[in-house]
Amino acid sequence: MRPSLALLRTTTFRLALAQAGVVLSFVVALLIYIYFATVGQLIRDSDLLLGQEYASLERAYAEGGIRRLGQEVGERAAREGPLLYVLAESDGAVIVGDFQHLPAAPRDTPQHIDFELPNSDGEESGEARGLIGRLLGGPILLVARDLGDSAVIAARIRRVLWTVAVLGLLISIASGLIASWLANRRAEDLSNTAREVMAGDLTRRAPVRGAGDEFDTLAEALNAMLDRLEQLMQTTRTAGDAIAHDLRSPLTRFRHRLESALEAPPDTEADRAALRKALDEADRLLDMFAGVLKLARVEASSNWRFERVEATAILRELVDFYEPAAEEQGLAFANNIDDALVLRGDVGLFTQAVSNLIENALKYTPVGGRVEVRAVRRQDGRIEIDVMDDGPGVAPEHRERVMERFVRLEGARSTPGAGLGLSLVAAVARLHRGGLHLRDGLGGAGERKGLCAALVLPADA
Amino acid sequence: MRVLVVEDDAEMAESLKASLAADSHEVELAGDGETGQAMAINGSYDVIVLDRMLPKKLGVSVVRELREQGVSTPVLILSALHDEDHRVEGLNAGANDYLGKPFSTRELLARVRSLWHGRGREPQTRLQVGDLEMDLLARTVKRNSKKLDLQPREFRLLEYLMRHAGQTVTRKMLLENVWDYHFDPQTNVIDVHISRLRSKIDRDFAHSLLHTVRGSGYRLEA
Repeated sequence: MRPSLALLRTTTFRLALAQAGVVLSFVVALLIYIYFATVGQLIRDSDLLLGQEYASLERAYAEGGIRRLGQEVGERAAREGPLLYVLAESDGAVIVGDFQHLPAAPRDTPQHIDFELPNSDGEESGEARGLIGRLLGGPILLVARDLGDSAVIAARIRRVLWTVAVLGLLISIASGLIASWLANRRAEDLSNTAREVMAGDLTRRAPVRGAGDEFDTLAEALNAMLDRLEQLMQTTRTAGDAIAHDLRSPLTRFRHRLESALEAPPDTEADRAALRKALDEADRLLDMFAGVLKLARVEASSNWRFERVEATAILRELVDFYEPAAEEQGLAFANNIDDALVLRGDVGLFTQAVSNLIENALKYTPVGGRVEVRAVRRQDGRIEIDVMDDGPGVAPEHRERVMERFVRLEGARSTPGAGLGLSLVAAVARLHRGGLHLRDGLGGAGERKGLCAALVLPADA
Repeated sequence: MRVLVVEDDAEMAESLKASLAADSHEVELAGDGETGQAMAINGSYDVIVLDRMLPKKLGVSVVRELREQGVSTPVLILSALHDEDHRVEGLNAGANDYLGKPFSTRELLARVRSLWHGRGREPQTRLQVGDLEMDLLARTVKRNSKKLDLQPREFRLLEYLMRHAGQTVTRKMLLENVWDYHFDPQTNVIDVHISRLRSKIDRDFAHSLLHTVRGSGYRLEA
């Protein structure tokens, strides 16, 4: 495809062409209007005047014959004014009048004509409108009006308008071509970036010219998308490495147990113990896989069916569910859940998210500690669910990191769990256009600050 | 009892067959959806274990068509896809239970037994296991005519255990059926609930009803 032809096909060019069409139609309409308002009106006025003059002379001819008519015409022709008269013999020879030759041959009925005025030198000097006719018995009568300056102006306006129309069309086409060439170049920048990214260079970004135009907006959106994409790729890569790393040790232990059970002399009791441990190890591995898959599905934001979630009922149910376990651990488990909290989301994910927060609190709070679940409708209309404890807490500098997947802070390695709990909650919060925030909790004895995990979600409208 | 296992992965099918046979069931295998459906219609099985992803015809379609043809044999669907949407789809098609892969053999055996026992049960207003009685209308529980004071959640838990008396119920079954939770708590929440319930129904009595089945779950038995 030749580039010039491609340019003609661009949207910008088509728009420019359409615009030129509109401008041209407008100019033509204006032209027609001006023509009728000036020239048309002039001619209509003239025709009326000429008709009256012709009629009065015709009456003079009827009353006094050719002599009276000749006299009338002679008198009127001598008068200063825009009206001109000629009386001629039936053969066209001028008897009396303003000029020596008839500008046109008469018909039997009076007829309007347009003609150029001959001046004294025989040169043409302006336009005139006339009414020419043959009277009874043969003489020819012409009554005319010198249109003078107004006709010249009208003609000039017409010429100017035509020039403007033609020039306008040409300029529109030219500017259309230039605009589409410019737009094309910007679009080409974006396509090039997209192509390079597709080719594998995820660090490429579309140029932003700083003009603040729609191409900049588009380029910024594209770049933001690429940033997010790159970040996701990075997360996936990190997660992949983390999975590989985290799976390696349980898999190795798993293999080692089976291997040593095989190598040891047959001993039913020991074999069974080894098998049980291997099974536990396998279960942990499967749990991790299930967790990773669930997290991936939540992060992919694929077709979740959002519905009305009766948060109050679900939260009270969860508290009721965990209460015995908390008591068993020697924890004071309190709750303060507002009535009638309703949000829009996925019931299963919401339940699991809060359950993860409660389990975290139960897991990390030492015996004798306190855990509290609080849920309120905030001033800004959002629903905030706080799960607070007075455990060791998380230092502010680690708070972002513990929400990443597989991150388990020092000392947490010995407790069960794959380190996916908080990252799943954060992902669920993002899916619901909410957020998960960590801050100081209930503040326990001594240095213990406790942890408050605040899940903030939009309420059901 | 007679179990039909429809599973296209030959190794998996053999392993299922071995486990079910060890649990004294009579097992027949089908390798694809169409064969499975034909066998289900012509044979007389007590329970059908159906893989979801099958060659020739998907598990969900097999169940739907079986139900349309009036076959009411209890069906347990096995699937690697076990999030809520898939589970609901399977149950809506007419399956009686849905178990996500990977699963433990004990879990599967417990569910197969439960399906068989759960068949054709009349709606009940009273449940009885040994000298333990539950009145579902008055919501009262008595053991040896002595009234027991249960919290609502303990009542629901006991009701489920009594309805499945004599069978092993897993923690997962309890989570799904008593609480309708479809995730695995990392903590021992269920065990705590059970031990609380046990202290109420068993502590003052010589004979224990609620037993722990090691590595599997629990069983209520007279």
